[in-house]
Amino acid sequence: MMIGRPLWTQWTLTPTALLALLLLLLCADRTTSVRTRQCSDSLQRILKLTRLAQKESADLIKTYKASQGDLSDVFCQASLQDVPEPAISGLELPERLESVLDHLRDFLPHLRRVYEQQADLQAPGGPLLSQLDRVGQRGRGLGSLVQAFYRDAFPNLQEPARGPEALEPPAQNVFQQKVYGCVVVKTYKEFLTNVARELRSIKSKVCRGRGSFTSS
Amino acid sequence: MVSTRRLQLFVLAYLASALSSAVCVSEAGSHLVVIPQSPVLQIGTNFTATCVIINTTEVTADDLYWRFRQTVIPSNQYTKINESALSVTIPVNNEESEWLYCYCKNKSPYVFVNQGKFVHGIHLSKAYPPEKPKNLTCIAIQDGKYISKNLMCSWDPAEHNVKKKPTTYTLHVEVIHNNQAYNVSTEENSATVTMESFPFHMDLEIWVVAHNELGTVESEHLKREANWFAKTNPPSDVKVISEETFPMSFLITWKEPIPKQMIALKYQIRYCPHGSHSWFVVPIVDFAKGTQSFRLQNLQPHTVYTTQVRCKHFNKGYGYWSDWSANVTKKTAEYRPTSKPDLWSIITEGEHSNERQVKFICKNPVLSNGKITSFKMKIQTQKENMMTRNMSWEIIPVNDPDADNSPSQKFTVLKQITLLDNMTARVHVTAINSAGESPQTSLGIPEEALDLDPMEGLKVHTQGDQFLLKWNAPNNTAITQYVVEWVSANDTDWQRENKSTQQTTIKGNIKKYICYNISVYPIYSGWTGKPARVEAYLAQNAPSVGPSIQLNGKRGRNEVELVWNVIPPPARNGFITNYTVFYSSGTEPVSITVPGNVTSYLLTSLSANTQYEAWIRASTIGGSTNGTRHTFNTLKYAPGEIEMIVVGVSLGFLFVVLLSMLLCFYKKDVIKNNLWPWIPNPRKSTIGNWSPDYPLKPETPKENCLSGISVLDVDTSDGKSLSEEDKTSLALKKDKYLSEEHSSGIGGSSCMSSPRQSVSDSDEGADIADTTASTVQYSSVVASNGYKGQTPSAQPQPLIFSRSESTQPLLDSEENPDLSVQEGGGASQPFSRLPCFTHSSWNQDSGSFPEVEPQEVLLPRDSCPSGEDNEQKTLTDGQSLSSYRPQLGGYRPQ
Repeated sequence: MMIGRPLWTQWTLTPTALLALLLLLLCADRTTSVRTRQCSDSLQRILKLTRLAQKESADLIKTYKASQGDLSDVFCQASLQDVPEPAISGLELPERLESVLDHLRDFLPHLRRVYEQQADLQAPGGPLLSQLDRVGQRGRGLGSLVQAFYRDAFPNLQEPARGPEALEPPAQNVFQQKVYGCVVVKTYKEFLTNVARELRSIKSKVCRGRGSFTSS
Repeated sequence: MVSTRRLQLFVLAYLASALSSAVCVSEAGSHLVVIPQSPVLQIGTNFTATCVIINTTEVTADDLYWRFRQTVIPSNQYTKINESALSVTIPVNNEESEWLYCYCKNKSPYVFVNQGKFVHGIHLSKAYPPEKPKNLTCIAIQDGKYISKNLMCSWDPAEHNVKKKPTTYTLHVEVIHNNQAYNVSTEENSATVTMESFPFHMDLEIWVVAHNELGTVESEHLKREANWFAKTNPPSDVKVISEETFPMSFLITWKEPIPKQMIALKYQIRYCPHGSHSWFVVPIVDFAKGTQSFRLQNLQPHTVYTTQVRCKHFNKGYGYWSDWSANVTKKTAEYRPTSKPDLWSIITEGEHSNERQVKFICKNPVLSNGKITSFKMKIQTQKENMMTRNMSWEIIPVNDPDADNSPSQKFTVLKQITLLDNMTARVHVTAINSAGESPQTSLGIPEEALDLDPMEGLKVHTQGDQFLLKWNAPNNTAITQYVVEWVSANDTDWQRENKSTQQTTIKGNIKKYICYNISVYPIYSGWTGKPARVEAYLAQNAPSVGPSIQLNGKRGRNEVELVWNVIPPPARNGFITNYTVFYSSGTEPVSITVPGNVTSYLLTSLSANTQYEAWIRASTIGGSTNGTRHTFNTLKYAPGEIEMIVVGVSLGFLFVVLLSMLLCFYKKDVIKNNLWPWIPNPRKSTIGNWSPDYPLKPETPKENCLSGISVLDVDTSDGKSLSEEDKTSLALKKDKYLSEEHSSGIGGSSCMSSPRQSVSDSDEGADIADTTASTVQYSSVVASNGYKGQTPSAQPQPLIFSRSESTQPLLDSEENPDLSVQEGGGASQPFSRLPCFTHSSWNQDSGSFPEVEPQEVLLPRDSCPSGEDNEQKTLTDGQSLSSYRPQLGGYRPQ
């Protein structure tokens, strides 16, 4: 039936096909945009929460130093072996997200221990305890969001295993507790800084183009 | 239908058999069981209960009946299930809990005896099914630096709710991804969930479950980011900065109420001129995200503005607007006036007939953009197209630039000049503030006689609190604008209208009860035309004070003219429509209404010598006020009436006097005889020659009679008698004591009954004179030597009889003895006894009587004989006469 007709006329004979193709493209584009927006929104929310946790940890450091005496600036410079590292490891996106989750889960028991130690040292209802509590809650919330994002982004990957919920109570004197608490808070803040940087990087890499999670 | 019926019967049979074991045991042998037990019924539906007969064959379903609300349910609502079961269907139409009973008729003695076993009731509780909570909204407000962990949620209340069966609402809040769930139950339509902390940037799922005995229903789930429910505090530390270099803008700064890491905010600014309530809102699109400053533009220079800021979550649809921040008031910097000043003039008559006083006044420019510190003015006058004077620019400072907002400083008086009627003036004015000078405005004052088309048809109406003016435009196309001027006692103001306006409202602060003189001036290319004027009140009231009243001129006997003062204009409060004059003399006041332009009234028909109270009532259409009361008395006599009476009386008196004088003149003899009766002159009396030794020689009867008888007859005596009597009285006065002695001694020889009443008692000659005309003189015996005894002396003393001076009138009592004596003679006239010469008492003592012939000539002839008879009769009785009898015969030696 196409014989004797120029090639361009064949296109004119299939307007329905063309319209269907156009609608398909639009639909695909809309789906892609929705997914992109969802990706962006999820990461944006994690990033916002990370910044909030970062600010709260920064405020916590100030409050902590103010509550520990004059030498707080000195002993906060110390480094301890059993405190998690702030650096995020891994090469691929899933690995780095796993690292974020692992570190968050590692830090939470330490923050809880610091809270318990400071609860013995501080007056009840003081600002330090409330801030410590709030930072711990914010860390749990951040972990939940990252985990949810990981689950959405990499549904076929196995979620990272949960770390220890609580730590063994170490034999620390008061000074050691002060040093420990300051190092934990300071390290946690550095970790959150790294997380924020990582999230910005992930956002720029992952939530673009037609694929939602291009790296996967 | 049949299958359904069978199924129902089967179910009931099953229930009956199932319950028979349990219920019957619990009911202790009751033969009736109602199912279902204690149900909760849905209001608005029908309820069916079944009564089942158990453990007896005494009765059947036909013997059963139902009672509900104290009445037996009609049998048409029954349904017989089988021989041992009867159901009933009732509507559930109220909220009250009630009992439903199943009874059995007294069919047999067994039933009658065991009535308690043949009744069973169930309690019906009623309720509405739970309603689905709608319009679920939640909010978390800022608490300190954070958003509160308390999330308050509310939903619409249920339309129906039974208090005895309330619906319980359970608010569920779940933090998604964090596995944190919270819930709280309440019977109200709001609840608050307390979380560990506010979950910033986390998703929340919120819903409400409503539950009661009739079921459970769940609201729509609200899935939102937690920040969606946040309401922050308003921005803090709001500052408004005014910059000299930008007189039409403000720089506004503030601080975010909450860290942006928690909630990214957007802001909204609104502002208004100070005192105004119409806000200008800055569009939100003008704000950048996270900005904490904004520059307001297109403001008026030198204007105070009030500014407020509020904030909200930046994302569209998120969160709630915070409250507005506190007012921040700031004034923009000054700028040169950008509009012309409003120049006007007040023209009054000059000192001379051919000149005018023109006072130029000026309002600040509408866009003064600062404090007007001075005006610059130039006046050009012209006479018959010849420029006569061209003054240079003159700076006129404003006295109190800070008072530009006060009502009393609405304008500035620039200058007052005297302008001849045949001269024109052209004035140019600019306004100056600290930033510069305004555009120039001009005003022309034409010649007085210039016949520009005057305004006509000005009408003033009140419209609410304003004056509505309407006028007819002059048939002149040269009109460029109109000036509406309104002047009150202490206020002058004006406004300008464009040339097409024929109706406007006065935009000034018009007060009630104040008289305004409203004028509309046509302006012909800057030259002022002849105005139309109307006086008007926005609202009228009763005058503040009433007119004070007073009398005009002198009061009258029946009329008084009242005058009253005109009420001062500030106290009138309206147009005086009339005065009412009231006056009263203690009774019902009389009122008279006079027009409002009258200030006096003549009251007539008043009562003489009466106190009146009068007052005036001044009336406007807004009310009336009485003035002070004035009290006055009408006169007893009309003016001149007393004078008329005095003149009349005087004339009458004069007439009487004249008449008397004429009468005296013409009747002097009669008067003389009446007033001064003739008294015999004692000096001419012959008694001086009467002596015992002197031979009794008969005298002329006339003289003897006169000298011997002292009877005074007023009617018959002539004028000489009185003068003679005076002389006699004087003589008697000299011998007063002697005479008295003789009277006493003589005793009954005197005609007087008492010696005190004799003439000797009289001390004053005047008394004698006064009583001369009305008294009767008696003769008395005047003896130079007195009577010494009845025995005659060797040389007998001559006895002299003189006329008595006694003023005592004769009394009947004193005369009675004589009268009694005289009665025999039948004489009743006084002459019958007094003139008669009788024997004296001492003659009686002597026992012999001188034979004296009576020589009385004045007595009637018939009197003397009778008196003589009486005398003889008295002597016979041996009684002496008390009255004095003159002895005409004189003394005769015995």
